[in-house]
Amino acid sequence: LALKVMRLTKPTLFTNIPVTCEEKDLPGDLFNQLMRDDPSTVNGAEVLMLGEMLTLPQNFGNIFLGETFSSYISVHNDSNQVVKDILVKADLQTSSQRLNLSASNAAVAELKPDCCIDDVIHHEVKEIGTHILVCAVSYTTQAGEKMYFRKFFKFQVLKPLDVKTKFYNAETDEVFLEAQIQNMTTSPMFMEKVSLEPSIMYNVTELNSVSQAGECVSTFGSRAYLQPMDTRQYLYCLKPKNEFAEKAGIIKGVTVIGKLDIVWKTNLGERGRLQTSQLQRMAPGYGDVRLSLEAIPDTVNLEEPFHITCKITNCSSERTMDLVLEMCNTNSIHWCGISGRQLGKLHPSSSLCLALTLLSSVQGLQSISGLRLTDTFLKRTYEYDDIAQVCVVSSAIKVES
Amino acid sequence: MEDAGGGEETPAPEAPHPPQLAPPEEQGLLFQEETIDLGGDEFGSEENETASEGSSPLADKLNEHMMESVLISDSPNSEGDAGDLGRVRDEAEPGGEGDPGPEPAGTPSPSGEADGDCAPEDAAPSSGGAPRQDAAREVPGSEAARPEQEPPVAEPVPVCTIFSQRAPPASGDGFEPQMVKSPSFGGASEASARTPPQVVQPSPSLSTFFGDTAASHSLASDFFDSFTTSAFISVSNPGAGSPAPASPPPLAVPGTEGRPEPVAMRGPQAAAPPASPEPFAHIQAVFAGSDDPFATALSMSEMDRRNDAWLPGEATRGVLRAVATQQRGAVFVDKENLTMPGLRFDNIQGDAVKDLMLRFLGEKAAAKRQVLNADSVEQSFVGLKQLISCRNWRAAVDLCGRLLTAHGQGYGKSGLLTSHTTDSLQLWFVRLALLVKLGLFQNAEMEFEPFGNLDQPDLYYEYYPHVYPGRRGSMVPFSMRILHAELQQYLGNPQESLDRLHKVKTVCSKILANLEQGLAEDGGMSSVTQEGRQGCSYLVASIRLWRSRLGRVMYSMANCLLLMKDYVLAVEAYHSVIKYYPEQEPQLLSGIGRISLQIGDIKTAEKYFQDVEKVTQKLDGLQGKIMVLMNSAFLHLGQNNFAEAHRFFTEILRMDPRNAVANNNAAVCLLYLGKLKDSLRQLEAMVQQDPRHYLHESVLFNLTTMYELESSRSMQKKQALLEAVAGKEGDSFNTQCLKLA
Repeated sequence: LALKVMRLTKPTLFTNIPVTCEEKDLPGDLFNQLMRDDPSTVNGAEVLMLGEMLTLPQNFGNIFLGETFSSYISVHNDSNQVVKDILVKADLQTSSQRLNLSASNAAVAELKPDCCIDDVIHHEVKEIGTHILVCAVSYTTQAGEKMYFRKFFKFQVLKPLDVKTKFYNAETDEVFLEAQIQNMTTSPMFMEKVSLEPSIMYNVTELNSVSQAGECVSTFGSRAYLQPMDTRQYLYCLKPKNEFAEKAGIIKGVTVIGKLDIVWKTNLGERGRLQTSQLQRMAPGYGDVRLSLEAIPDTVNLEEPFHITCKITNCSSERTMDLVLEMCNTNSIHWCGISGRQLGKLHPSSSLCLALTLLSSVQGLQSISGLRLTDTFLKRTYEYDDIAQVCVVSSAIKVES
Repeated sequence: MEDAGGGEETPAPEAPHPPQLAPPEEQGLLFQEETIDLGGDEFGSEENETASEGSSPLADKLNEHMMESVLISDSPNSEGDAGDLGRVRDEAEPGGEGDPGPEPAGTPSPSGEADGDCAPEDAAPSSGGAPRQDAAREVPGSEAARPEQEPPVAEPVPVCTIFSQRAPPASGDGFEPQMVKSPSFGGASEASARTPPQVVQPSPSLSTFFGDTAASHSLASDFFDSFTTSAFISVSNPGAGSPAPASPPPLAVPGTEGRPEPVAMRGPQAAAPPASPEPFAHIQAVFAGSDDPFATALSMSEMDRRNDAWLPGEATRGVLRAVATQQRGAVFVDKENLTMPGLRFDNIQGDAVKDLMLRFLGEKAAAKRQVLNADSVEQSFVGLKQLISCRNWRAAVDLCGRLLTAHGQGYGKSGLLTSHTTDSLQLWFVRLALLVKLGLFQNAEMEFEPFGNLDQPDLYYEYYPHVYPGRRGSMVPFSMRILHAELQQYLGNPQESLDRLHKVKTVCSKILANLEQGLAEDGGMSSVTQEGRQGCSYLVASIRLWRSRLGRVMYSMANCLLLMKDYVLAVEAYHSVIKYYPEQEPQLLSGIGRISLQIGDIKTAEKYFQDVEKVTQKLDGLQGKIMVLMNSAFLHLGQNNFAEAHRFFTEILRMDPRNAVANNNAAVCLLYLGKLKDSLRQLEAMVQQDPRHYLHESVLFNLTTMYELESSRSMQKKQALLEAVAGKEGDSFNTQCLKLA
């Protein structure tokens, strides 16, 4: 018996080399006629290079993590005698495990001369590195002799993608995730799906399409695919779910954000799929007391009072605070109201809202600074500078505009 | 598919690896009978650190928002792997597997002259002295006669002698510019009054010989005689070699001028002022050669004019203008600006099929292999066409070479002065086109090189006013320009291809714009427009021609972009081709759909295939239905559904049993379905059914691949295929697909 193995990557389309001439040229219609007679050209559009003829894969090619390894295994009886009890077993040995890929493990009763046993195996590749396809054949000859042989086919599984991520923490509790995905293969890659599967604490909005005239248009335009070594950047916005956002203490320290699920296709729909590991981010530390802004105007008039609303949250685990608010003027920002007032007791994980009034004496983009909170229990002062920025314009300009 | 629960498929990296102990099968490895390393090479060690730290360069660390490498699998993915990814094991083979490069054999094979020689110079049948009545110009015989025999090495500067009334320039090359007096000289007014239209030279165009192949009166052999005279003189050289007859009656023009082309004779002729040479020269100077009604009207058929039109570049235009105006002096053209082609390799003929037969089937079998070669056909255009159509392209290349040798542009003649004719350019085109068809791109490139950018002044008819009186435009066939541009992409310079195609496109667009404004191709006043309806129909035909040429350029661009894998632009370009060839819309849309499939974009492919369906509904023919079925089959292929794809291909075969594509593709699907034997049967049946048609490279490639997969006795079966090929295919057959070597 002989064993043959061929990897079944997708077939390719035959391309021909169009050479045409015009009627007045020396060969007359000859070149065009030759192209019409060529079965690999497109009937009626012979100059079109990409034909319709399928050709079988010509070499093993590359295989990438997440793709499906398909292979044809053929056991052929080259002898002139009938062989009995044939058992073909195909295993895949990876660096960590051994998998059985044969569709059936039942033995074939007999195989006549010049006949073959065919099997097509599929396996989604889940590991990088060396893989060995081990094909074992055992059979009994006519003489009753038990025969056994095996063959090894070694191949490497390569990494198809490079993924890099970046987090941005917004002033609100939102988190923006930027993911760069690079095509490390040698063929163009069509990204069928790149989605972020959030962890239970978050809701996710994909920011990779824009609405144009009622239609959702991908930000990548008509370029639906990635050339080799091209990188594409995806953006996601994550918002903590309400139940978690309320309990301020929970999202703290290292948290799991979710994972990216990537599905791509290459030549003639050859499919691959990968998921990243859980993406983690370090939530910004807010200390014991967090001051966040609830409302602030973006543009204000010079020397006119305006209002902001702050939210003060006790982020500590079990300590009740008694807070005093102080407001220190800066060069440009002047607070209105009483400095040093008591805010009362604040229990852990609870918050209070505070309306404040201030005015700016300088035009331009001004930073709001100078808030101080003092916890009278611990005698500890928390300083809040650069909380936000406002654009200060002269009132005259404002009227004009 | 088995990946339904994708979440678990790729384990998270924090999951500890199973310790990488020696696999239990280790012993098995010791017994192995055979190990085939499909990867082809050793791989980076797996002990590398995980990438997350290593991959972030210092610059990133300085950045506040640091990019992090993310693990996408549980196995350690070393950065070092990245370098290995780019490897493709088997790059496209450099096309010229068999090309021997320029052979050292120094001289052109003498056989070229051997077969058709012995036509003495004076036997040049083409016609006596330039019999033009009106243009009182003198035609020196020297020009046309110069190129052959001894190459005029001594002459440093090519001289275009147009009017050589003065003492002939002393030249060391042994050639004397002969003064040929036009019969009308001195008696111009008288002569022009006579104006016998049949005197007009036959246009030196091939159409005379090849317009209608079979029914043509002009026997190719007649033609050939003139073609291979040792002192090569093209038929189309009216003044060639004529021994200066002072006053032959113009009516007695012998030879080939069976087809006078009276087309443009009347109007302008009547308007021609009877002029002695002197004033005429002035007139010419005034017209500056741009739209001289005389010239255009003289002997240029409309067809020629339309086909040959081209817009020369700035420098070339200057030279041509000088040629047209400087009647008395010589125009000096720098040698660098002249085209001096020559064969660069002597003989690429040879028959790969026969070689293989010798190797595998023995001499006896090989002896049975009979193909035409350059010696076995008539040494003429007819023989050439015969070789081409029975696919003996190597022999055809060889024959082209012989004919060119006869023209003085043979082996080793590159860089030597020569003159060009319509025929020589056509021969070059055929030779180069066949080289490209054979995949001998390097060879084609070598021989293309002396032609520069196909815009040198001596490639224009205006450069030879005495040979092609009044004829204008470029001798370079349009298809040769396309070939010239496309060649680069096969040599791995697609960008250069695009550049060249863009240049061709610019000229085409300009000509088309001129035509659409009712002007002549070159932007001059169209002399035909005045002729009312006839002019109008000329314009329409011309616009049609140039539109289709523009479309052809766009086609090439699209193909080139496809080759560059710039799919977005390629798709755009194919869309624009539809504008020029609306009848090819369904095929082109299907093609675009297949491009999308190739990228992996199934949805877009589906969208295009639906468009095809809409377009073909209007056509309701078998072809349309087949196209729709074919597309559906491809779509299923893209969805990994080989069973359905096979069903559709089979459906096509039911409607059109001779459809080679469907036949082959159905067989391929069968293989993917695990039915090797069925697949083989189908392909074998197909090849046996109509070997002439189905012995195609791609089919045979599939067949041999399956033979290899099937059994250890693939060699015998391949040899059987070789025998089948030997019986049917010419010497241009690409034996690589048999995988015998």
